[in-house]
Amino acid sequence: MFPDPQNINDMKSSSSNGISSWFTTLFKVWRREYSMVFSDIGVMLFFFFLTLMYPVIYTLIYNPETVTDIPIVVVDQSRSEHSRELTRMIDATSSIEVYDYAPTLDEARRIQNEHKAYGILVIPSDFGKKIGRGEQATATFYAEMSLLLRYRAFVSSLTDVQLAMGAKITQEDIATIGLPGQSVSGTPINSEAVMLGDPTQGFASFIIPGIVVLILQQSMLLGVTMLAGGSSERRRRNGGIDPKAVPAGPMATIFGKTFCYVSLYLPICIYVLDIVPTIFHLPHMGQLSDYMLFILPLLFATSFLGLAISVLVTERESSMLVIVFTSVVFLFLSGLTWPRYAMNGFWTLVGDCIPATWGIEGFIRINSNGSTLAQETHPYTMLWLLAAIYLICAYLACRYLYPSRRRALRPGI
Amino acid sequence: MTFRPLTRSIREGIRQLVSRPVYLTCLVAVPLIFTLFFINLMDEGVAMRVPSGVVDLDHSALSRKVTRTLAASQYVDISADYESFHQANDAVRRGEIFGFFMIPSDFQKNTLGQRQPTITYYCNMTYFVPASLMFKGFKTVAVTTAGGLVQATLVNTGFVGEDASMALIQPVSMQIQGINNPWMNYNYYLTNSFVPGMIALMVALITAYTICDEIKRGTSVRLMHQSGGSVLIAVLGKLIPQAVIETVVGAACLAIMYGFNHFPMHCPAWHMILAMMLLVIASQGFALTICCIIPNLRFSVSLCALTGILAFSIAAFSFPVSDMYPEIGIFSYILPVRYYFLIYADQALNGIPLYYSRFYYIALLIFPLTGLIGLPRLKKRMLKPVYVP
Repeated sequence: MFPDPQNINDMKSSSSNGISSWFTTLFKVWRREYSMVFSDIGVMLFFFFLTLMYPVIYTLIYNPETVTDIPIVVVDQSRSEHSRELTRMIDATSSIEVYDYAPTLDEARRIQNEHKAYGILVIPSDFGKKIGRGEQATATFYAEMSLLLRYRAFVSSLTDVQLAMGAKITQEDIATIGLPGQSVSGTPINSEAVMLGDPTQGFASFIIPGIVVLILQQSMLLGVTMLAGGSSERRRRNGGIDPKAVPAGPMATIFGKTFCYVSLYLPICIYVLDIVPTIFHLPHMGQLSDYMLFILPLLFATSFLGLAISVLVTERESSMLVIVFTSVVFLFLSGLTWPRYAMNGFWTLVGDCIPATWGIEGFIRINSNGSTLAQETHPYTMLWLLAAIYLICAYLACRYLYPSRRRALRPGI
Repeated sequence: MTFRPLTRSIREGIRQLVSRPVYLTCLVAVPLIFTLFFINLMDEGVAMRVPSGVVDLDHSALSRKVTRTLAASQYVDISADYESFHQANDAVRRGEIFGFFMIPSDFQKNTLGQRQPTITYYCNMTYFVPASLMFKGFKTVAVTTAGGLVQATLVNTGFVGEDASMALIQPVSMQIQGINNPWMNYNYYLTNSFVPGMIALMVALITAYTICDEIKRGTSVRLMHQSGGSVLIAVLGKLIPQAVIETVVGAACLAIMYGFNHFPMHCPAWHMILAMMLLVIASQGFALTICCIIPNLRFSVSLCALTGILAFSIAAFSFPVSDMYPEIGIFSYILPVRYYFLIYADQALNGIPLYYSRFYYIALLIFPLTGLIGLPRLKKRMLKPVYVP
């Protein structure tokens, strides 16, 4: 009733219809897997609900993109025309808002301690005098550092204000001194910064293209291992036999299931990789054909990886305990928040083994920088390589790692 | 009133914890390994020396001087010279570099002839951290190059000295001090928020798992019987040992961060240990509330997992709540880890008086109470366990 995998191999060499029967089994596994997926609400939750909702939820969280109107307190000890102008200019930036004035630094700190402000600008008493005397005037800004995004916004706004106010004063000074205007009429060299990929420097535009790829991988891993846990529970109840599994050899089982998962994920990929960036107006440059072809090996590698670790899963729910926390680990290994060139060799290697690392890297560049598939040869090759490695792992796990030989004959993973 | 049912229930809870390796793995190994992982991963603190390139279309003495200045910058690592914009842009798209600095042709000629050439620098903003550092490095070089030239011109006119010329070029200087993390150390910033996030996630998962697993297996009836019919004692028997273990593990994580790795801590250690203990209890309360609403193993664990993962984003470790849509930002207030994060920012990072963080500590105490409200509902389900696969 349940053919030994060994026998299947024998059949391949001996009988002429071995190959075709192998394919028939594969299709049977493939078809059965659809009904397994669609009869399990838990798996459907991961495969469909999670992939449909999470990209939207994450984008909604980060969609305001930039930090605006961060409240600060001003300690103006100069009380001069120039100090007031400085404060006005800072207040006029998009990221900073002057919440209040304080007479002393202590008072300003009290306001900040009450979480009403996140920065303190101290304008010393000689600020106005120094500008009047043609010396360099210094103002100090104390930034609260619990969020680096706020600090970033402070630095860029304050630098802009410093340059703008400085240019104005320089012009006035030059006119007063009577220098040959031409020599310093402006800067001798202009400079221009161009932001590639995410021109608005928005947070959603930065993080969402990476997160969606990770969602694809993690949701598939969760679903695949949950199916395996269910099968394992049925085997335990039925004396080592999963009544719902199609009897098939390891390779037919692995490919049959993988084709099922990949075929379900292709439409999801179009939604996640194409429709989500479009509806939220995130950066979206690449060709649909390029990133769909690019994501294909990620789906295969993830499915094989899921099937390989499935042998360790004995219960439907316990897979969640193990896989959920890896999402955060994988996110960091991918180099999205902390760049990969700054990691040590060990973590780079671990990151190399995760499909999402290459998937995120390649998809971000195709999606945001408009790369072509040909320019992403390296991550693309790595993804296929991982798919091959995990296929071998899944085969070995499925063939040898089952608790008993008796169960190995019935590999309904 | 005797404590016998409680001690028996606790003994039962401990027995369950050691019955399968997955429980202690999640409670002990995962948070500790995760802490070490984070600290080791971002060991450098600041991801200096961003791989970047130069496109020098001028090849003059002046352009070479600019290139040398770039090479000396601590922020960028000029790993390649490119012949054209397209070549450099191709390298960006291949991921070889994160951006490049372009010096236009006739740069020296136009500079000396006062025709204001334009230096352009390109930063690939799809990776925030390296791009920001690179931007800083490139901008500094562009501005100082221009400033140096103006200064030389001014001094050469003989009207002003070097000091005065500096004031003329940059009359207003803004000193920006990042208080308590002036290095912009990413390790301090991320480890302090993600480690408690992970602890909260693991505590919630194990709480929901250990309670609802009894319902799934149908052993909850026996458990209720052992606890003398009190659902509170049945639940406490599980929660107390877990809370003790996890508080110790959490304190160990704090010790790894603040003790061994000298992360900035500007408050007495007990402020943070107390916060960690309350975080553990609050996360248990959060998970218990979910268990009471949905007393089903799969759904309650799924819900804990889904909210626990979203917590890393909604609790605003990187993007401030005040800038989120209010409809989204409001959810940050129902997450225990949000209050822990605020306590950390106030106490460990900024070292302000405990008085200002009082509400956050109190908020953490509310979570266990919400869990208690739902207990009667859980009791009903524990006495009549139904498993829906």
